[in-house]
Amino acid sequence: MSGALLSVEHLTKEFHTNASFGRRAEVVRALDDVSFEVRRGETFGLVGESGSGKSTLARCVLRLIEPTAGRITFDGIDLRALDAKRMRRLRRRLQFVFQDASGALDPRMNVGELLAEPLEIHGVGDRNERRRRGRETLELVGLTNEMMDRRPHEFSGGQRQRVGIARALVLRPEVVVLDEPISALDVSVQAQVLNLLRDLQRELGLTYVFIGHDLAVAEYFCDRVAVLYLGHQVESASREQLFSRPLHPYTVGLFEAAPVPDPSRRSRQRRTIVRDDADMPSPLTGCPLQPRCPVGRHRKLCATTRPPLEEHEPRHVAACHFPGALIDEHAAA
Amino acid sequence: MRSSLRFFAMRLAGALSAVLGASIISFVVLRAVPSDPARLILGPHADADQVRALSRSLGLAQSLPEQYWHYISAFVQGDWGYSFTAGASVRSIILSRAGATVELALISFAWAFSAAVVLALLVTYRSRPLLDRIARGVAFAGLGLPQFWLGLLLLLVFSHTLGVFPGPEGRISPSINPPASVSGLYTIDTLLALQPATFFDALWHLALPSFCLSFFSFGFLFRLLRSSLLEMGREPFLLVVRGKGMSRWAAFSRHALPNSFLPTLTASALVFADLLGGSVLVETVFDWPGLGQFVVQSIQRLDYSVVQAFILLSAVAYVVVNLVIDGLYGILDPRIRLGRAQ
Ligand SMILES: Nc1ncnc2c1ncn2[C@@H]1O[C@H](COP(=O)(O)OP(=O)(O)OP(=O)(O)O)[C@@H](O)[C@H]1O
Ligand code: SF4
Ligand SMILES: [Mg+2]
Repeated sequence: MSGALLSVEHLTKEFHTNASFGRRAEVVRALDDVSFEVRRGETFGLVGESGSGKSTLARCVLRLIEPTAGRITFDGIDLRALDAKRMRRLRRRLQFVFQDASGALDPRMNVGELLAEPLEIHGVGDRNERRRRGRETLELVGLTNEMMDRRPHEFSGGQRQRVGIARALVLRPEVVVLDEPISALDVSVQAQVLNLLRDLQRELGLTYVFIGHDLAVAEYFCDRVAVLYLGHQVESASREQLFSRPLHPYTVGLFEAAPVPDPSRRSRQRRTIVRDDADMPSPLTGCPLQPRCPVGRHRKLCATTRPPLEEHEPRHVAACHFPGALIDEHAAA
Repeated sequence: MRSSLRFFAMRLAGALSAVLGASIISFVVLRAVPSDPARLILGPHADADQVRALSRSLGLAQSLPEQYWHYISAFVQGDWGYSFTAGASVRSIILSRAGATVELALISFAWAFSAAVVLALLVTYRSRPLLDRIARGVAFAGLGLPQFWLGLLLLLVFSHTLGVFPGPEGRISPSINPPASVSGLYTIDTLLALQPATFFDALWHLALPSFCLSFFSFGFLFRLLRSSLLEMGREPFLLVVRGKGMSRWAAFSRHALPNSFLPTLTASALVFADLLGGSVLVETVFDWPGLGQFVVQSIQRLDYSVVQAFILLSAVAYVVVNLVIDGLYGILDPRIRLGRAQ
């Protein structure tokens, strides 16, 4: 498909853990064959429970860790083919905001230095120019000038996240990967930061990859959404498609598990997949969800054949042999 | 700027009270030892009148606060008391021996510190399993082996068997005249006196004892720096600056190193101050004419004035070293300076 600014194809990441006392070395497959495309100017959402591989995906896409397999293309450039030096230069266009706002800032540096550093790395401007740009960006994220001389520990969580955002934006990137930028924040501040991000996107023409675990936030913030389950991409579609008619039983389960104000909908929760309701190991063949899927639990096909990620409606893909079965069943009930 | 001045003023006040506390404690504790210095000086055959007379002339009949006040005011004026066992003023003996100890301490510390820093950097910057294993083994040995045993081993191998380093004959070959004392450090004094041959002889004599003494400090500092560098390597902000496009080396040297250096700096101060106190065992093994040996002899002979002066001077050394480290801390970690002053 053309028109994609960032495309990820068949991305797989395995972690090899070392043997230690009472534990054998093992291989953790944190990402298994993930593919998606992000168009210029849109917000692409990645949702999944904790441990589903969202941060790993973000790091692989940015090549902060090396994927095991797969291809990442940014603006026609094959990122994995770049040497270290070219990759470093390209990072100017491809920035990110970390999940852990406080850990992301060197405690010894003040905000002025933190904001100047990315520019310094890329040799942008002289000292004064860098400071001027830093101040400008700080204003952009709603912090005041006098904060330039403060250090991270003198800020609140929300302010720190704003500094992190400013630090990503000071390079005027094209794509920003936002790894749960609001999860660590107070509920009252979350909306502020989301709105700030949206305003900045409009103002600066940014493309976002937004990572979160809250479906309501994804529905509010994203144009397209992909759902991850233990490293598998189970479904991805436009916001309208996904939220009006999810095809994959796991996505349906996520909706049902999410707190809903309407009590008549709560009764259905039992029937769907919530990850910790059975800690059975995923089968080696067949669908990874089969043992706890209300649709596939008793179906032979699901137990024997892994469902491929297929386009069931235009630009709506799901990895399921019986797409839409659960939501239809619910609709009939 | 004013806040950092106030910070250092506060540190200085703290340092002075630490020295004062050390002096009071050493004074009181040594007075509490149940033995009569006048009797010790005069020996078992002197009669009671003689002892009483000497006691009075030593000021021992005065009240403790009076004695303390006399002691401190004399100390500040440079009168550190008289060592009856050595038959000389404490100041002249300590000054004559301090050079040997300070020189050995400086060289040992330089060895330990630079080896610890270089090796810790090498094994944490990239994975170097073999070097890491060797360095950790050496550190382990340094922390575990008794120093006198190591000293004897070094003498046996490098002096007795191989003959590449001198035996236990002190700071300089017996056939060579020591340089005129300016700093008390032979390596410096020989250079000032333009005596290169004597300089190399002094250096040659320093090799084994300083190596022996640095072993422990090396083990301690290497382990500390290595583990804090490894810990720092897992900090998210390192990944962040790499994501901004920073090179591996720049991220390591500008972010990981300064942050993990702080605990090592504090430890270095303690290690160095400890080395300044002299090591009895190493000095004995190498017949090194330093403070450690002398102080232990004085303790055994209940020679108050020496022990007291030594305690007080050690306290001063610790405090000075720590003040210097505080200054460095302020430069490396702006949080400290500002955080405390507010
Ligand atoms: N460096 C690593 N070594 C071994 N396993 C890892 C490593 N990093 C991540 N993993 C594993 O990969 C899986 C995915 O982790 P990841 O951090 O990507 O999850 P996440 O979706 O971001 O979760 P969260 O919402 O809690 O941030 C987890 O099982 C995790 O234990
Ligand atoms: S393939 Fe079968 S088991 Fe897997 S999600 Fe679909 S219906 Fe459930
Ligand atoms: Mg995460």
